[in-house]
Amino acid sequence: MFDNNVFKENTCINVSENGQITGFELQTNITYYRGIPMSMIEYIRVAVDGVEVPSESIRISVDQQDWFTLKEAETVTTYKWEYGEPLYIRVMQEGGLSKGHHKVRLTVATRTAYIPVPLEGIKERDVVIE
Amino acid sequence: MSRIKTCVSLYSLQDEYLNHRMNLEDIMRFVKEKGAEGVEILPDQMLKGAPDISEETVQLWNKMIEETGLTPVIADVFLNTNLYKNRTLTHRECIDLLIKEIKQANRLGIHLIRFVSMVPYWVIEPLLPYCEKYDVTVALEVHAAMAFDIPETKAFIEEMKRVNSPYVGLVIDTGIFCRKFPRVVRAYETNNGTSSQVFDYIDTLFEKGTDLHHVLVENNYQYPPELEAAIQSEHDRMFVPLCDGYENYPFEALDEYMPYIKHFHFKLFEMTPDGEYSMDYKGLLQYLHDHDYDGYVATEYEGNRFTLPGHPMQEKQQVEAQLSYIRKCLKEIQG
Repeated sequence: MFDNNVFKENTCINVSENGQITGFELQTNITYYRGIPMSMIEYIRVAVDGVEVPSESIRISVDQQDWFTLKEAETVTTYKWEYGEPLYIRVMQEGGLSKGHHKVRLTVATRTAYIPVPLEGIKERDVVIE
Repeated sequence: MSRIKTCVSLYSLQDEYLNHRMNLEDIMRFVKEKGAEGVEILPDQMLKGAPDISEETVQLWNKMIEETGLTPVIADVFLNTNLYKNRTLTHRECIDLLIKEIKQANRLGIHLIRFVSMVPYWVIEPLLPYCEKYDVTVALEVHAAMAFDIPETKAFIEEMKRVNSPYVGLVIDTGIFCRKFPRVVRAYETNNGTSSQVFDYIDTLFEKGTDLHHVLVENNYQYPPELEAAIQSEHDRMFVPLCDGYENYPFEALDEYMPYIKHFHFKLFEMTPDGEYSMDYKGLLQYLHDHDYDGYVATEYEGNRFTLPGHPMQEKQQVEAQLSYIRKCLKEIQG
């Protein structure tokens, strides 16, 4: 369920800091029908060309100002991931994605108020880095 | 005399909102234009920062209510008992969260909140002074798969009867009155790989006047041989537990609860020229009329999540069709 909400189209890009490519970023809508505090994100997984990136290299943000590791986000209750607004996901990886075509798969799971299992959504997209 | 009024839950238009084809103001205008009297909102869905909304948001809401003339009927409230990964919220934390929701409803001029199914009974008594102070009634949703036979719902109902306050009641979701399994769900899940035998089996249950939920409860959650025979794959086995959210209660199941019922979700999977595909709205409206129901029946479109890939979203058309059908039924029934 909610697979259609995952991984907004044309959002996967390399990110640079001080002239160096430090990783890549993508955006997703929520796998739920309401906004929730970031602590209710159960897990985020990113795989590039079939290889999953280490969970420790993932940072997430709802405002592109304050970024959290997945471990940190477990206690973040004052930042809300709103319905209709993206979650920004960065994978810290020197050089980012190499030029050319990649298959990027994003998995997003949120805990919900009454459903015992997290609501997971998965979407793989063809990404071109120029 | 009954006084049955129309309402739209903005849940029905969630895809329009999510994908920014309509903002909240567009949606409110749409609901008014299509003739609804009231509006139902999920603050967590369409109001930023809920339940700690800004004064600016309150003013915008009031402006929309004033401009449209819609009655702000009810706010749908959730309880994030699993806010943290490593523990469940304590009773005090749960109650504090719900007090915030009551205050928020009051700020929005809303006098009724719906608690999502499974909200525990022990929140009722500590919340009552706040319900009275802020003039907000709290009502538990009775939803298919979490209806009258579930321990959490039973406990809430028992406590509701014990405290016997006009500020505590129930919201009924009409998904408990399915007479047929929704074919839009079948089409969507068939596309995802579920075998036709599973749906054929479920259809035979509805034909017999029962449903999968009741059959599983009666069998202590063991699958009957006919269901085992219908399951063709691991995918089917994963999917079957998701099919118990469509129940086939008779309307008379409401008899003893009518004095406590504050609101209805008229669940909508698919409007056809003859009404909703799975549910007999006209029969239910006649039942409510005969039992002097005075309240709203809110359109709650859920076919949006069963829209086939590549097919256009039908939220606006479905909401409009249901409102028009309900109005036609009410005209015949209420005059």
